[in-house]
Parts: sequence; structure tokens; C-alpha cells
Amino acid sequence: MSYELPVPTPGTHTRPFWEGTRAGKLMLPRCQDCNRVHWYPRFICPHCHSANLEWIEGSGEGTIHTFAVQHVAYGPWAKHAPFVTAYVDLKEGDRMLTVLRGVDPAKPEDIRVGAKVRVEFEAGSDDVHIPFWRVVEG
Amino acid sequence: MPGALFKAAAIVGAAEANEIGFLKTPVTSLQLHIEAIKNLSEQTGVPISRIEGVFSTGWSSELCEHLGIRPKYIDTTSVGGCSFEMHVHHALAAIHAGIIDVALVSHGENGHSSRSIGGRGMGNYGRGGGVASPAVEMTMAYGIAGAPGAYAHAMVRHMHRFGTKREDYAHIAKVSRDWATLNPRAAMYSKKKHPFGGPITVAQVEESRLIAWPLTILHCCMVTDHGGAVLIASPKVAASLNTKPVWIAGAGESMGHSNMLEMDDFTATSARASAEAAYTMAGMGPSDMEMALVYDSFTITAAITVEMLGLARRGEGHLLWKDGHAAPGGKFPINTNGGGLSFNHSGMYGMPLLIEAYRQLSGTAEDGINGDKGKQTSARTCVVNGTGGSLSTTGTLVLVADD
Repeated sequence: MSYELPVPTPGTHTRPFWEGTRAGKLMLPRCQDCNRVHWYPRFICPHCHSANLEWIEGSGEGTIHTFAVQHVAYGPWAKHAPFVTAYVDLKEGDRMLTVLRGVDPAKPEDIRVGAKVRVEFEAGSDDVHIPFWRVVEG
Repeated sequence: MPGALFKAAAIVGAAEANEIGFLKTPVTSLQLHIEAIKNLSEQTGVPISRIEGVFSTGWSSELCEHLGIRPKYIDTTSVGGCSFEMHVHHALAAIHAGIIDVALVSHGENGHSSRSIGGRGMGNYGRGGGVASPAVEMTMAYGIAGAPGAYAHAMVRHMHRFGTKREDYAHIAKVSRDWATLNPRAAMYSKKKHPFGGPITVAQVEESRLIAWPLTILHCCMVTDHGGAVLIASPKVAASLNTKPVWIAGAGESMGHSNMLEMDDFTATSARASAEAAYTMAGMGPSDMEMALVYDSFTITAAITVEMLGLARRGEGHLLWKDGHAAPGGKFPINTNGGGLSFNHSGMYGMPLLIEAYRQLSGTAEDGINGDKGKQTSARTCVVNGTGGSLSTTGTLVLVADD
């Protein structure tokens, strides 16, 4: 079955990320001067303002920083409500937004801030695979 | 020691569109603007032709054209609901610099009417939206379509960090409604005015429909029609008018992020920075404030904001409402019009904050609009804070009554 949810259009400087998703890799932008990873991808390092940026392969590991259960959604997501969205603290630093997998939207009290999560990818289109994060340890 | 801009200008009038709330006959945003400006001109006696600076969220040139005026200072700062507090800051600076003496800050937004006639503007979060900013590119896949879905994340983190329960925040919604039942202009004034209007209990807030857990619908603001405008003038012009001035003692603005993805601390906002700037300019602090008007897009917004403004300790903002201090008759009134939760919220709520602040500090809350009398407090100082975006941007004002 084809993917029915919104699929981003790759930007002019984010192709390495989307190419990575097709290979099952979580590619992250890192500054070659201050060595810090940032997310989302920039044209300039938001920490030290260097333009010497590179892409590295991330571990795909992280923890839940915070979450919410979306009971109202629009467009293609509407029929999937309720679903759980979360901000994930990446092992490498900085934070990603995702829809969490491996959780029960009816039991938010069972979802733990700080729980370990791991990235997985779903094909949104031939070009773009979408990262989703799954709780791997309560 | 106050800063250089201390009382460099005053708000000398505040008015609204003729009808606000859930309007039965749809209106455009422009109509709401123009009605408010016309009413403001009549209230202050300042002809529209005398306006020298126009401050609005992206509408300024169209507004001026519609009014047939050609101002010499134009500002279209549009960074969410706090834009209007920033406009006041900018107008204060422009007046202090001697560029203008009379500034208009205006807002109209048909949040309710746009459901039937459009005209409010919607982001494209559908499939195939074209190349977007990288922040949108990396977040648009995950189905968060509205503000409640974003703000709920901050509430969860706040509860996690401070051990609070959702019910603690529900008191904010309940007290806002208590204020609204004293304000006939409030959309939720009574059951007669709106089927869901009138007093509510904490239990009702908790048991209402889930929008984005933990936020139930009564933890969320309304989306209504509203138009409002305030006039800001130099001390010299203010002295020549018959309306009472409310002095801008302090003003500050700041931002933490644009996209919530970049929010470092989900339990804090830039209101701390904008408030510090405003308090410093005023030479005053939180303990000098006698009331507050804070942006309550959601209960969590108000709770975090009073903590940032120094009115409560971290994690204890909700106690101002829970313990009754913020309520009618309490020692520290907050959101005396009923707030975005129960008075009116068209999408960007910063203008109603300014209007209520002017009414309270000029002692005109009970003069009424269209025969509807508001509830007057005895406060002589007020801290006003607007929050825009996803807890992103903030503007803070310290306003004081005329001596």
C-alpha cells in the first residue's frame, strides 16, 4: 500500500539526509569547527556560526524529551488520530520531532519521559523515507 | 533608576470593533480593523488623519490605503500573538526618537468568520507542498496541525519536571471563566450568550473533550472574531487629550525560537528576558505589579508565563489561580476580561491584552462598550505579556496609571 501521509519535499541542502533515510541511516549535520551536531539542517552552524558543515551517520538512538497525544488532526493524519508525537533527544545532541511507535495513545500515563527510542524508516516515496522513532525500553 | 524610554509615551485610548466574538454575520479582518480604528478616533478625539505611525501585523500598508492616510512610520512586525506588545515597544522608541507623536496599533482577525468566508490564511501542510524552510521540512510529516498539538508537549514536560497534575492548570480555565461572567463582552459571558458559556467547574474542564492530551478543549482558547486598536502618544499630545493616559513605564521583547523543534527548555519562555528588559526600563520589579494580563492561549501558557514574569516560583504558576489570588476579589487579579480562554481570542490575542490593560489602568473598565460594562479593579500597575508562535516570541510591557 502506498504511503498516504504528508511527505516533505527535499530542500536544496538536505539531500544527504534523505539519501541516508533510503539506506536506513540517520544522517546528521555536524560543524567541523565546533564539532557540535545540530538539527534541523542549517546553512550555518547555529552554535559557532561556522559554514564548515558536514554530514555524519548518527546512532539512531535517543530518548523521549516530551510527548503529546494528538486527538485532533487534519488531512491525511485525521484518520490516524489519536497518535503520539514526541520530541526526541538525540544521542549526538539536539532534538527531533517524530510520531512515536510502540506506544498506546490511550495510555499516555504509561509513556515515560526519558524512555529510550530507536529510529526506523518508512518509505514515503521513492526519494524520501520518513524517520519514525520506536520506544525500545520503557 | 528607570531607563531612557521610561514614560516616553502613553496609551491614550483603546477601542474594539462594534461586535466581537462568534459573529452570526461573517465579517472580514479588514472590517474588524477599521471599526476599531474609527471607534478609537471617536473615543480619543484624535482624527484618523493625525495618525503618524501605523503598527500592525503585515496589514499596515493596506490599512493605511483603506484609511486614506500616508504615515511617516510603518511597522509590520508579525511574529505571532505578541506582535502588538512589540508594536507598543517600537512605537515607544519611535516617539522617544522624535520621529512621530501619534501612533496607531491595530489588529483585526476574523478567526470565527473565516470558517465560512475565508480570509485568515492557512499554512500548507498537505502532501506535496513544495520546498519549505528546513524546520518545516523536518516537521511537516508528523501530523501536528495546530497550536494545541504543539503546546501539549510543553505541558507534559512542565508536569514531568515539577510533578504537577493537569487538574492544577484547570483552575486557570475555571478562574478565567469567573472573570468572563463579569464581562458582558466576553464570548463565554453566559449561557444565553453562548451555549457553552457561563460558569464552569474544574471537573468540567478536566472532563471536556480531549484535543491534544493532556489538553482538553477547556484548557484551550477559543477562535473568535476580534478587532481592536490602541492609540499611543507623546507626553505632549497625551496632555492635550481628554482621555486618561496610561503610561508605558517599561517595554521589552525577546524570542526563544521560531519552530518548537528549537525550544531548549520546554518549561520556560523568552518572557523572562522580555520581562527583565521591561522591568529594568521601568525601574520596577514583579513585586511592584498589582495585576497582570498574560497570554492564555492555553492554561499551560499562562502558568509558564507568570513564572517567567517573576510573579510565581518555577512550577508554581498555577497556584495563583488555584489559591484564588488571580480570581475576582483576589489579591492579584489576572486576565480580568476573561482572557483568551473565555473572553475572546481571534488567533493573535495580543491586542485584547492591551485594550484590557488600558481600561483597567485608566479606570474606564466600567464605562462599558455598546452599553456593556466591564469589571473594574483597583490596580495602578500592570504587567502585560504576549506570547507568539509555539511559546516562541514574547513582548512584555509594564504599564502604570496616571498620577
